[in-house]
Amino acid sequence: MNGNGFNRATRYHAAIRGKEPSTIELEPMGEGRLVVALGDKRHEVDALRIGDRTLSILIDGRSHRLDFEELGDEWVLLLNSQEVRVDVVDERRFRLRGATAGFSTHGKQLVTAPMPGKIVHVLVRLGDQVREGQGLVVIEAMKMENELKSTKAGKVVELLAAEGSTVEKNAKLVVVE
Amino acid sequence: MARIRKLLISNRGEIAIRVIRTCRQRGIETVAIYSEADRAAPHVRAADEAYCVGPPPSRDSYLAQEKILEVARRARVDAIHPGYGFLSENASFARACQSAGIIFIGPPASAMESMGEKTRARTAMSRAGIPVVPGSTEPLRNAKDAQLLADQIGYPVMLKAASGGGGKGMRKVDSAADFASAWRAAKGEALNAFGNDAVYLEKFLDRPRHVEIQVFADSHGGCIHLNERECSAQRRHQKVIEETPSTIVDQRMREAMGQVAVRAATAVGYVGAGTIEFLVDSQRSFYFLEMNTRLQVEHPVTEWVTGLDLVAWQIRVAEGERLPIDRPLSPRGHAVEARVYAEDPAEGFLPSPGRITYLRSPGGPFVREDSGVETGYVVPSEYDPMIAKLSAWAPTRREAIARLRSALDEYAVTGITTNIRYLAAILDHPSFLAGDYDTGLLTREHQKLLGAIDPQQEELALIASAVLAYERDARRARSMGKQSELPGISAWRLAPKRRWDRR
Repeated sequence: MNGNGFNRATRYHAAIRGKEPSTIELEPMGEGRLVVALGDKRHEVDALRIGDRTLSILIDGRSHRLDFEELGDEWVLLLNSQEVRVDVVDERRFRLRGATAGFSTHGKQLVTAPMPGKIVHVLVRLGDQVREGQGLVVIEAMKMENELKSTKAGKVVELLAAEGSTVEKNAKLVVVE
Repeated sequence: MARIRKLLISNRGEIAIRVIRTCRQRGIETVAIYSEADRAAPHVRAADEAYCVGPPPSRDSYLAQEKILEVARRARVDAIHPGYGFLSENASFARACQSAGIIFIGPPASAMESMGEKTRARTAMSRAGIPVVPGSTEPLRNAKDAQLLADQIGYPVMLKAASGGGGKGMRKVDSAADFASAWRAAKGEALNAFGNDAVYLEKFLDRPRHVEIQVFADSHGGCIHLNERECSAQRRHQKVIEETPSTIVDQRMREAMGQVAVRAATAVGYVGAGTIEFLVDSQRSFYFLEMNTRLQVEHPVTEWVTGLDLVAWQIRVAEGERLPIDRPLSPRGHAVEARVYAEDPAEGFLPSPGRITYLRSPGGPFVREDSGVETGYVVPSEYDPMIAKLSAWAPTRREAIARLRSALDEYAVTGITTNIRYLAAILDHPSFLAGDYDTGLLTREHQKLLGAIDPQQEELALIASAVLAYERDARRARSMGKQSELPGISAWRLAPKRRWDRR
């Protein structure tokens, strides 16, 4: 069934954000020990979870401490203050995803609130023609004002931002087409 | 001598806790104030008493002078420590404290006014023979006049809030085309942060260094300097890493800058802790930038090399004591500080408020953490995103950097995004290590500082995340009774409690 000679291995597909996915196979050996195959290498792994957020992991005898958080299919890992986001799915979900991959939002640019905050200025009106790089909305959070700019030239086809209003993260503000 | 027995801190976060600690050590009772957004904030629990002063926006709470004074009167405090930011450089608040018979821990209101309005300070300093950066001496009336002056001086220029500080209300303008947007941003931020939208303009010096001198004056005419701090590691005019001594300041330059700084402080009748900021050009000529009439965020590095508790001395000077020394102290060893922000360097340093799901502080010899947050705390979106400061001391610069670097690696914060990794990348940067950097370093090297993950870390991340996913799936399968789907469920184990019990 697989090329690693594992009898009871479980297969996952893991991708560090922005990189190609790798196939990983794990075979449990009991008492928290596993043999893990990644690429053409096999590793002896001893994993121990400390509380809800910390993982002590020995990989071929090398000791690592990392802190983690689960966000959907994504694991946010903190390794020596380096945050790494890894998307992990099992075989079934991996195949399922393959079928729906590749949709895009070509043509429309949706501008959303990058953080919770207050809309202090709306610099455009519905129907305005905007240049690439033109300021659309100024949002204030943590005492800093951030101007959100248009990433493309086009027409403002939707305007949901209202001056003085408070918005949540990812709130839809402007659509440029 | 007016003994201070009870003190109110009109601030929040790490600085409120910093002040409370010194008060504890001196047997002074403390009163905290908090906004409705800060009921759960650690500074509330750190104080002996705490009172709510209003809704989340600063102007309704931490800047609400009347409400704060009412709490101060009701709690019968002897003094108010303003920390930095908020009301720390507000002369009318200092006056109001005085009228209420409460000691304001800071300089006299008149000194604050002379230095607080940046344009007035520039005029006063050039009159006292202190070199200043070329630009406008008056706040600019409108965008048109401002742009005219900018065109005259030549780009790039800096727009700055007249009542500013801390990088707020400050914008660099590279060309006439960018002027309108920068003008709008600077004025908006200035109004919001300081309640005054007046801005002025300065020539932008090429690749300058930011070096500042800590001064301290008592009410008996004594005034000394406590050496320099190098604060050139900045982004958007916000300091990120500070150190002392500066690699470009030798003893002669230190004395020269120190003398000028003391002269500047004396010229405005200064009392207490203050900082004179200078820009230093490539010829090592220095120009007065501004005076901060308060305790600085980066004061711990000065405390490391002088051995003085600056907050304790602010209190003692306010009580009428004389300074313990009458001549400058030679810096002992080297200290470096890094500011930890709830922000995402990879996303244009966007603030990242939210719940801290887990926090583990670093430790080790000569490492100091000044923090205002903890596990479970929700970083509010209303206030400054700085959550903590980390500093380290060692006999040499190289060792101090290594200590701070190792402490940053130990610092774990999950739930929100922080700049900790970015701070580590600055400490690793060859120009920083060589001590050869200016205020443009972080902008020029931005991409490099964001850094790539090294291959070994990649392998670790892939294996660890797959192991975590496996454990989760095994646990789920077990709870659903599908033992057969994922073999080796017993493979996983939690930290064995029983093993500890036996000991």
